[in-house]
Amino acid sequence: MSDTVQNIEDLIERLVEVDGAVRKLKTASVSGTALRKQAKDIHKDWLPICGILEQEQILDSVSIEQATNHLEKLKKLAEGKNPKSQYKPLLKTAVSHLESEVLHPLIKRSGLKTVGSSIRALIAPINDTVLLTYLDESVRCAEQNCVRASIVLAWCAVASKIHTKLLSLGLPALEAAFDKMKQDTGMMFRAFTKTIKLTTTGDMQEIPDANLILLCRFLMWLDDSEFKQLRGALDLRNSCGHPTNYQPDSVKLQAYYADITQLVLLNPKFV
Amino acid sequence: MLDKLKADFDGILELVQKVPDPLKETALKIILDQWFAANAVLPRPPSPPPGPPPPVGGGAGTPITPTFKAYMVANALSEPELERVMHPLGPNAQLAVSEIPGVGKATKQVNLALLLSVKQALIGGTFGCALKELRETCLHYDCYDSANFAANLKKNKTLFKPWKKGEDLELSGAGMKKAAGVVKTIASES
Repeated sequence: MSDTVQNIEDLIERLVEVDGAVRKLKTASVSGTALRKQAKDIHKDWLPICGILEQEQILDSVSIEQATNHLEKLKKLAEGKNPKSQYKPLLKTAVSHLESEVLHPLIKRSGLKTVGSSIRALIAPINDTVLLTYLDESVRCAEQNCVRASIVLAWCAVASKIHTKLLSLGLPALEAAFDKMKQDTGMMFRAFTKTIKLTTTGDMQEIPDANLILLCRFLMWLDDSEFKQLRGALDLRNSCGHPTNYQPDSVKLQAYYADITQLVLLNPKFV
Repeated sequence: MLDKLKADFDGILELVQKVPDPLKETALKIILDQWFAANAVLPRPPSPPPGPPPPVGGGAGTPITPTFKAYMVANALSEPELERVMHPLGPNAQLAVSEIPGVGKATKQVNLALLLSVKQALIGGTFGCALKELRETCLHYDCYDSANFAANLKKNKTLFKPWKKGEDLELSGAGMKKAAGVVKTIASES
């Protein structure tokens, strides 16, 4: 896969070189055989790459077909002494399409193929079977290019850990802690005005996660900076769990996992 | 152990020479402490009592390798500075910055290569970075310029050990120094 990425990158580099050379020409048409051969060679070198992409079914066939069409047009142009005004828009479109529809998705996909092992290393010390059920599913989602699902499922593990820890206090103590937080007029807590009544452990499910992590901050299980980072992780989870256009990539996913493992899943204060 | 110390001592002194004069004594002390900690044969400690697992990264017990500690000393890089860029400090370190310093994609790409190399060294590897990871991260930080990706690295060849297109990168001495500078820049701005 990395060879294919490198080869497409080289191809784009060569297209940009041809574009630069065409722009420098003082004649109205591109007649030099060397430059035209350079353009035709790009098409020739694209074909085996195209074959690999089609065989591996990594990208959608329309994107690959469009790239082929652009380079075929370039080859046809280069077969005769055609005006350079025809080259400029074609080269621009070809480069832009190859970058955004072929190379970038390919790099993102290849990142997701290896992200599983990086995430597994982060969660290796976790041996709680309940958490591992969510985390294992989350990692499998990431490996299948379902980053948003992966983020949502990983948050289930975080929420489960927080629920367990809070419930270990006992329902009366937990209710009292919520009451105390409600009375706190400090900057961080004054926005919390709800009265929480807990009769069964299942009532915890009804409390928004944002309130639960605020309580973790109130109980000093998280410091200010840790709370902000965890709040950021929850925001990311919410962006992925609701209809938005946001598409996190493998780098974001790794950073998210590094945060949630450090702040909650492996944080000794949540044991 | 003394034979090993004799063998390693020249290297240690060479490292200390790179440190500014006022810090030389402290640097020598820290490096020697690390050396003894890594090489002394200590009696096996009793097994720890059952309890919560140790914290992951950060704090006094940060699992930073002696080699990386030596790099930090040589470049006067503190843990708090590093922690603003990498998080957590140790084997699971991740780049934790929202923006890469630099004007233009080329500078950002090179700075990112330096930061990823520091990250790899921090997790126990060499000061180097895989091109695959660099491309993915450049794309994430919106500084990937496919047509000039290799050219940007070639233009900054003094920062890397001799490199051929397509090969993974390894930092040169100048690159390691520059990388520390980039970490400090980010830490001072955040």
